[in-house]
Amino acid sequence: MSATWAVQTGLVTRRWVVDSFRMPWGLGVSVIQPLLWIVLFGNVFKSVTQVPGFGHDDYITFLVPGILMMTMLYSGAWAGTGFIDDIKSGVMDRLLSSPVRRSALVAGQLTQQLLLSLVQGVVLLLIGLAAGARYAGGAGGIALAITASLLLAASFCSVSAAVALTARDQTALIGISTLVVLPATFLSTALMPVALLPHWVEVAARFNPLTWATELARTGMSDSVDWGIVATRGLLLLALAGLTYAWSVSAMRRYQKSL
Amino acid sequence: MPPTFAVEATGLVKTYPGGRGRPPVQALDGLDLAVPAGTVHGLLGPNGAGKTTTTKVLTTLCAPTAGSATVAGFDVSREADAVRRAIGYVSQGTGADPLLTPRENLVMTSRLRGASRSAASARADELLERMGLHDEAGRRTGTLSGGTRRRLDVALGLVDAPRVLFLDEPTTGLDPEARAAMWQEIRSFAVDDDVTVLLTTHYLEEADRLADAVSIIDHGRVVTTGTPASLKEGIGADSLEGVYLHYAGRAWDAAAIR
Repeated sequence: MSATWAVQTGLVTRRWVVDSFRMPWGLGVSVIQPLLWIVLFGNVFKSVTQVPGFGHDDYITFLVPGILMMTMLYSGAWAGTGFIDDIKSGVMDRLLSSPVRRSALVAGQLTQQLLLSLVQGVVLLLIGLAAGARYAGGAGGIALAITASLLLAASFCSVSAAVALTARDQTALIGISTLVVLPATFLSTALMPVALLPHWVEVAARFNPLTWATELARTGMSDSVDWGIVATRGLLLLALAGLTYAWSVSAMRRYQKSL
Repeated sequence: MPPTFAVEATGLVKTYPGGRGRPPVQALDGLDLAVPAGTVHGLLGPNGAGKTTTTKVLTTLCAPTAGSATVAGFDVSREADAVRRAIGYVSQGTGADPLLTPRENLVMTSRLRGASRSAASARADELLERMGLHDEAGRRTGTLSGGTRRRLDVALGLVDAPRVLFLDEPTTGLDPEARAAMWQEIRSFAVDDDVTVLLTTHYLEEADRLADAVSIIDHGRVVTTGTPASLKEGIGADSLEGVYLHYAGRAWDAAAIR
């Protein structure tokens, strides 16, 4: 008799949670990084509010949803590293030769990543509040923003896991992630409203999941929620999270087939 | 009726793509193997002969390109999950999470395989005691000595009371004392727990001391099988080393013993 999928997933999640608490460096950085971004971006770009067409009077309030989504991207980039460690050490071999469901190995690790993302998101919104951002949408708006951030995190963590299980190399994973993350940030509305973007960036931004999540969070936390944006961007993010999760599970199966 | 053979492989072939225009690599080339239940069976052979690939196929870690095999009576391709439930696998690498303690590793492994919280906890204590890991049970695995970690790896392989235990070079890197202790343990699994052990090793002395029978593998095939005594007798060698060099020795090392 084997454990159920839920029990196995829970055990795998717990393993990674315990692991992450025993690497306090990683935890510390994941909280300090968004703090730095808010302080740096908030100060350096402060004067953009005076540019005609910016359309918002407070840059910090505008910036926080963008930084929230950026944080999800940057943390998600590392999500696959645990699998590479397991492949190198032999833990993966032992797990794959045992009656553990492949999807539980993937889902359990993703759950731990999402728990970490949730903590990061809440900390970030608190830092934003302290820096002067105002969340006019209240608790409901905050819940929308956090949900959007978790859907984005799920997508990006799944991509990272899939790349890790396909490339099986730490340097390749970090390289690919770095290559994607920075352009993705700038080809979005995370830091700059759409009206101020050059046309080609605006077009690219429209297809960028980072833009979808940022727009959802921005309208959700404003005083007049555009439910059309919430619904369309929410569905897009949900679909993306589902697709990328399926990709990461199939990457796990393909990894075993390649042995 | 229990199977007469705990492991039975027929014509196993495993081919890896060579990549970038290189020819494919033939890791196994029609390997046959039959291991009677309740015995310790040694797999010997030079590096790259196919020992680890054989283990990977039999533990369902990878699928054979051709041929078939049963482990504990289950087909490795069609009944992979049943095979996985019936075996323990100690790979060449460590199987333990370095950030968890030995006890946490054992409990997690046991629960992943379906044990209740209390059963997993009891099993972990039993194995910690048995493998002499009691004093290290609460320390992080990554900080333990190589020998201690290897004992934990073996304990992890035994968590679910396997019917067949695969040990891939279990004593590589251990000091003589730790190696002798490990040998004693391996013998006791077979005798006391009725576990069939398939042991891959580079140490001929290890195979001689532990194995009821050995198979020498070279170029992806079994070149000879028998009890250490009968193999020595067959070619008039006085050690298993002589047997090994006779069957799998390359020209240069065969010449060295003449």
